[in-house]
Amino acid sequence: MSLDWLDAFLIFGLFEVAMIIGLALLLHLQLGLARMANFGVVGFWGLGMYAFGVSYVRVDWPFGEPWQFLACALIAIVVSGLAGLIVGWYVSDLDTDGVLVGTLGFATAVAILATTEQDLTGGALGMGGLGFPYNIGTVKENELLWLAITALVVGAILFYVWRVHRSPYGRLLIAVGANEPLARSLGKRTRRAKIGLFVIASAAMGLLGAMFGVMVRFLDITHLGVDITLAAMVGLVLGGSARVWGAVIGVVLTVGLFDIIVQSYLPLPREWYTQAIPVLREAIFGLTLIVVLLFRPLGLLGDMRRDRLMGKLHDR
Amino acid sequence: MDLVTQAVVIGLSENAPLILAAIGFYLLYRLTGLINVAFAETVTLGAYFGMWANTTFGLDFYAVLLPAGILAGLVSVATYLAVFRPAKQRNVGMLEMIIISFGLSILLRHGLQFVFGYPVRFFDVPTPDTVMVLGVGVTSFRLLALVSVVVLSLLLYLFIQRSRLGLQIRALASDQNLAQASGIRPLAVTVLIWFLAGLAGGLAGAFFGVGSSVAPLLGWRLFLPILLVVLVGRAWGLGGVIAVGAATGILLAGATLQFGQVLYAQLLLILLFLAILKLRARRLAGTGGIAA
Repeated sequence: MSLDWLDAFLIFGLFEVAMIIGLALLLHLQLGLARMANFGVVGFWGLGMYAFGVSYVRVDWPFGEPWQFLACALIAIVVSGLAGLIVGWYVSDLDTDGVLVGTLGFATAVAILATTEQDLTGGALGMGGLGFPYNIGTVKENELLWLAITALVVGAILFYVWRVHRSPYGRLLIAVGANEPLARSLGKRTRRAKIGLFVIASAAMGLLGAMFGVMVRFLDITHLGVDITLAAMVGLVLGGSARVWGAVIGVVLTVGLFDIIVQSYLPLPREWYTQAIPVLREAIFGLTLIVVLLFRPLGLLGDMRRDRLMGKLHDR
Repeated sequence: MDLVTQAVVIGLSENAPLILAAIGFYLLYRLTGLINVAFAETVTLGAYFGMWANTTFGLDFYAVLLPAGILAGLVSVATYLAVFRPAKQRNVGMLEMIIISFGLSILLRHGLQFVFGYPVRFFDVPTPDTVMVLGVGVTSFRLLALVSVVVLSLLLYLFIQRSRLGLQIRALASDQNLAQASGIRPLAVTVLIWFLAGLAGGLAGAFFGVGSSVAPLLGWRLFLPILLVVLVGRAWGLGGVIAVGAATGILLAGATLQFGQVLYAQLLLILLFLAILKLRARRLAGTGGIAA
């Protein structure tokens, strides 16, 4: 199959959009439902990426692909989930300031360890040796298949989040976000719900980090900047942090606009792509957060359906 | 020479600007209750303004401190008037305010690159002499920076704790309605606080920038230590923030000497401070409060 018509930037752009949608959906559970601002998304994602990379490259596995990939991805999920358990326990009885400092501190700790533990991670020099768990032909064909697999994983996350919205657990998370002391006084185990939320969301973020590692096949610490957290947060806030589809629409309009339309289709001077466009991208993302939260705090999609229904019933 | 002496001399001379930045951040935090992530960019902009005045007009480092601090203070006031005041008037929640400040931080950090350029910049200052303090070699420049920071911190402390305007600032931070009823003009005092916070952050940025380099991530890399110092020290007021800031500098230097790696020292500091905050929160939870 000839894929000459397909731009390599387009495949990677679509992959990034899919991955950030996944992260934004998981952040939606934390920020949109439980009102816990996870500023350390990149920490869980990066931990998964490095847990996968280190186990894939440094361990001499007795079996080949795809089992090696599956074993390493499982390690990434477990390690990130355990980190989520610890961070979730830490922030579960803290206020907004505590959640910020706990998650930010965790992300900084991951970045420090990825830099200092050179024997494992390659540090600032980076770590190569990762590959796809299959070989169906050219690099472009392999990347296209990986994009499809990632889209399936993100689709599964979307389905999970959609199910949570309609489950008692989802209603408990909404209650935690709206008035935690009240929910606790009604006998709800709010702390356990918050810790569980962090475990699941962190494990899935770690899996997405591992999938990113396979796509780029070279891990370095520059990936652990604030960009990933920002992209997920701005997409979610723009689309609507209270709605399931908010993350999808917001990320398409932000990351999709820059990483697909601008990267692949706008006839801009080549030198702009090295510095001006990435800097402009981040500046516009920052501005978007300010403007949306000032003028349309609930994002493009607005309030939850149930809140709108209640508003209509009570003439609000 | 023992580790403690080295840690004290190096820690205080290298990390003194951290205390100044923490004072600025604490002022805002005390007044608004807001963790203003964009304060990191006040620090960065102080470094950029200082470097710009130094390299453009040929001013020596101490002459650029005034414009660097004032310009950073004005930017801080501008962010209050353009972003945080409208947000407060629209009753934006605290969580959303933090996200807005995060967005503002990103906007300023990347926007300044369009003004000052992308490459890392440096102050154009002569090579400093080395002075021996308690047997430890410190550059004359760092020593002067330490003295300046001590004087500036003391002046800020006295201004807030002893002056009439300082009293108004503390009154406004404690109870806005009562302060207003007592004849305090909230807008004027609030603008003053934002200016002072920006001034302190900007001066800290200039001191950090001249000691190493001026880069867009300068303030962001300092943000977590500043935040931790303020959250841990706030229980004992402004004096507590200054004391914890000084202790942090000494601890960082001591741990760096011990481990031979500054990043391990930072990791140790993060874990230690997070543990303190957690223990304090658990103690408060036992008495009915939940806080970091």
